[in-house]
Amino acid sequence: MNENNEKILQVNNLKVYYYTSKGTVKAVDDISFFLRKGETLGLVGESGCGKTTTGVALLKMPTPPGKIAGGEIIIDGQNIVELSEKEVRKNVRWEKIAMVFQGAMNCLTPVYTIGKQMMETLTEHKQMNKEDAMKLIVKYLNLVGLPEHIVNRYPHELSGGMKQRVVIAMALFLEPKVIVCDEPTTALDVIVQAQIINLLKDLKQKLNLSFIFITHDLATEAEVSDRILVMYAGKVAEIGTNQQIYGKQGPMHPYTQKLLKATPRIHEKVDELSFIPGTPPDLLDPPKGCRFHLRCSEAMDICREKEPQLIEVEKDHCVACWRCTKNV
Amino acid sequence: MKMKDLKFWFKDFWNEYKKVKFGIVGFAFLIIFLLLMIFEPYIVPFSQASSRWRDITYWDDNPSGAPPVWTNWFSSKKSPESEKITKYQSEVIEGDLKFINSTFEYDYKYDKAPLDIIFHGKGTGNMTMIVKMERPDGETFDLVQMPIQTDGGNDIRITLDKDSGAAAFDFAQKFENEENLQHVDKTSVKPLDIYFAQAKSDMLNKIEPLKGIYKFTVTAILLDQESSYEDPFMVVSGRVSGILGTDNSKRDIWSGVVAGVKWALLIGLLTAVIAVGIGVVYGVISAFYGGFVDSIMQRIFELFASTPLLPVLIVMSAVFKPSIWTMILMMCAFFWTGPVKTVRSMALQIKEETYIEASKAVGASNARLIFKHMVPILVPYSFASMALYVPSAIVYEATISLIGLGDATIVTWGQILHDALKGGAVLTGLWWWVVPPGIMIALMGMTFAFIGFAMDKILQPKLRTR
Amino acid sequence: MYWKYAAKRIFYGIVMYIILIFIFSVLFNATNEATTKAQIEEALRAETTKMRNMDVQEVQKYIAERRAYKYHLYHLDQPIFQRIVWRTIDTITLNFGNSTNIKSAKGERDVWTIVSETIPRTILLFTTAMILELILGVWLGLKKAQRAGGVLDKSTSIATMVVYGMPRWWLGMIMIMFFAYQVNIFPSGGLHTVPPPQGFAYFLDIIYHMALPMLTLLIIDFWGTAYLTRNIVLGTLQEDFVMSARARGIPENKVLFGHTMRTSAPPIVTMALLSLLSSVSGNILFEGIFSWPGMGNLYWIAIEQNDVPVLMGLLAITTALYIAGLVILDLIYGFLDPRIKVGGKA
Repeated sequence: MNENNEKILQVNNLKVYYYTSKGTVKAVDDISFFLRKGETLGLVGESGCGKTTTGVALLKMPTPPGKIAGGEIIIDGQNIVELSEKEVRKNVRWEKIAMVFQGAMNCLTPVYTIGKQMMETLTEHKQMNKEDAMKLIVKYLNLVGLPEHIVNRYPHELSGGMKQRVVIAMALFLEPKVIVCDEPTTALDVIVQAQIINLLKDLKQKLNLSFIFITHDLATEAEVSDRILVMYAGKVAEIGTNQQIYGKQGPMHPYTQKLLKATPRIHEKVDELSFIPGTPPDLLDPPKGCRFHLRCSEAMDICREKEPQLIEVEKDHCVACWRCTKNV
Repeated sequence: MKMKDLKFWFKDFWNEYKKVKFGIVGFAFLIIFLLLMIFEPYIVPFSQASSRWRDITYWDDNPSGAPPVWTNWFSSKKSPESEKITKYQSEVIEGDLKFINSTFEYDYKYDKAPLDIIFHGKGTGNMTMIVKMERPDGETFDLVQMPIQTDGGNDIRITLDKDSGAAAFDFAQKFENEENLQHVDKTSVKPLDIYFAQAKSDMLNKIEPLKGIYKFTVTAILLDQESSYEDPFMVVSGRVSGILGTDNSKRDIWSGVVAGVKWALLIGLLTAVIAVGIGVVYGVISAFYGGFVDSIMQRIFELFASTPLLPVLIVMSAVFKPSIWTMILMMCAFFWTGPVKTVRSMALQIKEETYIEASKAVGASNARLIFKHMVPILVPYSFASMALYVPSAIVYEATISLIGLGDATIVTWGQILHDALKGGAVLTGLWWWVVPPGIMIALMGMTFAFIGFAMDKILQPKLRTR
Repeated sequence: MYWKYAAKRIFYGIVMYIILIFIFSVLFNATNEATTKAQIEEALRAETTKMRNMDVQEVQKYIAERRAYKYHLYHLDQPIFQRIVWRTIDTITLNFGNSTNIKSAKGERDVWTIVSETIPRTILLFTTAMILELILGVWLGLKKAQRAGGVLDKSTSIATMVVYGMPRWWLGMIMIMFFAYQVNIFPSGGLHTVPPPQGFAYFLDIIYHMALPMLTLLIIDFWGTAYLTRNIVLGTLQEDFVMSARARGIPENKVLFGHTMRTSAPPIVTMALLSLLSSVSGNILFEGIFSWPGMGNLYWIAIEQNDVPVLMGLLAITTALYIAGLVILDLIYGFLDPRIKVGGKA
């Protein structure tokens, strides 16, 4: 990874709120980060911390009743939040930024063949005759390790792993700048999981792709990501390189530390699995100050009062925590 | 499920239910129907309508095929309403023979004459009955004179239409011109038309109403000591009658329609509850035992589901001529198939849940598992089906009754419509006979549709719109 | 794959039918036999009135012989189980015997002729209504799903519930009273005017007579289809693949009409046809009200005249058509849903 690569995705102060009949849920509340060309940024956190919401928001498709309430998403120099839906659909979605869904999810239309769905997507964005389009489709299918005859199959005829590969192929063939992967391996069995991860790494290298990899599985994250972004309760807790988070020194944010401790390691002997007491806060009415302070064993008075800002403590390493940044 | 749990669940459910607007409307209608049913004897003029629907004598005083009274608002020529006059002035003259005079006052303010005026009284023994009329224009004359001989306490019924024909013509003769008298057939003249017409020339051809207070005096001349006459009252059989008019057999339709409410509710609810009950238990048992038992039960189920319900019901009714209870049973025998499929798939899921396994491990019997654990959970989901079955059952009964295969001993809306069809109501435009029973069926259907759909909406949140 | 499914389903339907006819034969055995015996006596009487030459004893003997012969012919001298089996076989082979009273258009008494005359008319009316109602209902349902929770959606849902319990035949009565008698636009019943006009005018005449019954049917039925369509489409719209299609930049109308509708098609078609099939029952009365000379009307007549053979024949045919409808339904569903049509995993 070259630190001097250009930034192809910049997110500034992104807010995504869900407007429900019970109130406004601030699922993503002012987060900022960037993605460099050719790198994989991992988005990690507990269920409900806002990572999937962030993922779909990057395609400007928050799940209703969610809406992007503020901030900027700059891809290829353009702030897509300002663009009209038509603009986004025509030029941004899938061409500039694409998404790899969970393969076990029901994300392929059951009544159309794979070929038809891929062809439809292709011709919607590019002017191509049928033959060239089919050639491209087959090329990418082969790239992900699938034979040509898949184009005539229906989704229900494929296994989970095969569907996942199809989804990856579909995300790639328009050669978008950013690819968001939302839990691509979570529902697969371990062997297939490994295959898919290797495939992604392979493709990334071959095609010089840039990924945003969303998962709650820290182990997978460690495998694939160059940099990691830890989210908690709709906010960024820590951003760091793979080495900085997983390395000997360990992460700085108390939450990240506890997360890593709670992950069982094969080689260590553990008498008792540690866990983080309490539950994530209710985002309808988030707590004052630092959102983690109720579960933090090292909370200080200021943590209860004021929200910590995301501050760079060393190169490429930012933390939002009063204790960690008080010396900076 | 304990009572406490039940109460809590119910409260939760009611809170949700309240939010659905049309559910409340449906519920309100249901309350109205229940009130109609409970207060039936007080709100209908003929409280024995249910039991004496086919008893001609009960309805004898009503006009036949008369429109409702409120149609008078829409016509320029006002028709007289049916009424019962119980107020009278009594006068008893003693002597060799006892004269009992009862004078009734009738305020006539209409443009058309009533169809009949009937005098009732309870009499015993030998007597001569005389009815005298005093008109607003001063003319007074006898209408009826007839001897009566009756045993204890029988109803004496004198009708002007039938019993006073001669008097009418004589009266007309006094005023009418020669020409008309010759052309007019004595027997074709309606007495009451003359009584209430202005007395003048050409009165047989062009009847102009004489409005005002009419006095009718009923005199009972008792011919011996043992005879008696008491409790007289007068009934005007008008051209319009009742809230919903009358049918060809002189029955008050409002009474009939209200009497039908309880039957509709009974048929609908009984069928729905029994059928859904059977269906749920059937589905649970089938899922619970699985394997061979499940296969057999599903085959049986499919057999029932492959039969077209109404044709079979019709042929069975034609052949076996059932009573209403047998009909309900027959309907249940087919309706139960409805919830089975969904209940079974849900039961299959529940079966795998750990608490069932746990209960088994503790040693719970199969029956206990089925009836105490699985069925209570699934029953709420079938509430929606239950509600939606009620109108189906009611319509089926009405359909069978319409063809004439229903239970003629009870008054249901279907029976009323059957009589209407047979009586040619459609052809002769007796809309007040056809419309109300059907509207009631539709309203009750609508009520339970509202309730059922509201329950459906609550119990299946997937369909909630945001 | 599909053919195996189809063949299995059809075979199944036939088995169901045979079992049902057997059950009916058991149920109505007593009545059927009484009718047959009555017909035999009637035939015997007809034969013997013409015989004036023979004396009483000879006539009696003749009658007894003929009776025994006829009983044997109709299997009435066999044990009860065999009698029922014979009746089942007869029914399935469309051998319904003769009617008690009713005659066909040409004056025949053969039940099958009488019944089969009426079938096309019933099919004409209800198939046309069904097609129209399906088109209108699905169209409205789609519109409702597009703006779910909106004014159109809510008001039409209310309309659905209002007519939910309304008997079709009652609405028919009202419509006739109003449109045929009060305001004389439509004829009050029948298939065509008497005598029927020729050529193209005949065709128009039938449409003219179909108009009022069809209008009545449409008013009640198509709300239900719209409501069902709306729910199914809404359910499908919440599926993941719809979001996935949108993420891929597929335009909204292709998402709606292509992906969503095509996926919703199997359940919609099934539910719509199912509710239509179940309304076959109510149509019996419906035809009677309009004097539309179809199967339903024949039920009326048969009941009034207490013609048991015709009723039995009608029941058998109606059941056959009903089961055939259910089978066709499954076949269509299987055809539309690739999971069944193509089946299995690769």
